[in-house]
Amino acid sequence: MQDHITEQELKDRLSLIERMIAEGRRNTESWGWTFVLWGAAYCLAIAWSAWSHNPWAWPVTVLIAVIVTVVVASSKVGNHPGTTLGRAIGSIWIALGISMFPLFLTLGLSGRLTDQHLFMAVISAMLGMANGASALILRWKAQFACAVVWWVAAVATCFGTDAQSLIVFLVAIFLCQIVFGIYGVIADAQERKRCGPIHA
Amino acid sequence: MPDLPELNPVVHGRLRLALLSLLSGVEEAEFTWLRAKTVATDGNLGAQLSKLEEAGYVAVEKKFVSRKPQTLYRITEPGRQALTEYVQALKQLLGPAIDL
Repeated sequence: MQDHITEQELKDRLSLIERMIAEGRRNTESWGWTFVLWGAAYCLAIAWSAWSHNPWAWPVTVLIAVIVTVVVASSKVGNHPGTTLGRAIGSIWIALGISMFPLFLTLGLSGRLTDQHLFMAVISAMLGMANGASALILRWKAQFACAVVWWVAAVATCFGTDAQSLIVFLVAIFLCQIVFGIYGVIADAQERKRCGPIHA
Repeated sequence: MPDLPELNPVVHGRLRLALLSLLSGVEEAEFTWLRAKTVATDGNLGAQLSKLEEAGYVAVEKKFVSRKPQTLYRITEPGRQALTEYVQALKQLLGPAIDL
């Protein structure tokens, strides 16, 4: 049958295979909005706790962010098929959430979370770990850069005054949550635009 | 000069090739997801999936989720093998013209 097939057609078939395999595995890039949501949640919790010194500022904000994430994610995921890669990335972030929430909730309620530097350093290190693991699996340089920023923030928040460490933490949130999240949303929208119809 | 390989005609169809490639990267996929990714019409997509099913390259599972019908497709081992052999044949045919 290939007597009638041109070299260009054969190359077209190869690029179609590559594009479709990548398309099936692309689900992980549709999560930019969660980074923006959680960036906003962190800022809200910082502002609330700084304003009122309410010990429930962080737990309540985090709980609301979890509920919003679950509701929006379940409506977005819809009929997306599961992949091993998607499950691996999802597991990292779910495990991070499960580790952080009870830890900081109990530290806060027991009154042992008195050192702001330590609190920000631990959060930064944990976020660096999750971003780093995700970036290494996906081979995504932009996310690895976020991991590096979080690791630098984890070290930097141990030094300086309260105000200086807070500024470092806020800069890390802005770069790694807000900016990276918006980048993820834009990259996903552009990728969707590029896909055209495939004829038999 | 070695014999050039034959391209499997079932796999060679553009939409069928796209479907097999998509399914090779996921565990299983719904009809609606395959339609969204290929931007094919329901009729064309259904016809091409039936051909792949007849060849034994995809398996179909129909079930109800919250009282709504759901059709799930997954690539079978012969389907994965056929796709692999097709890619190898393509590479062999393109020879030095290939730029990967």
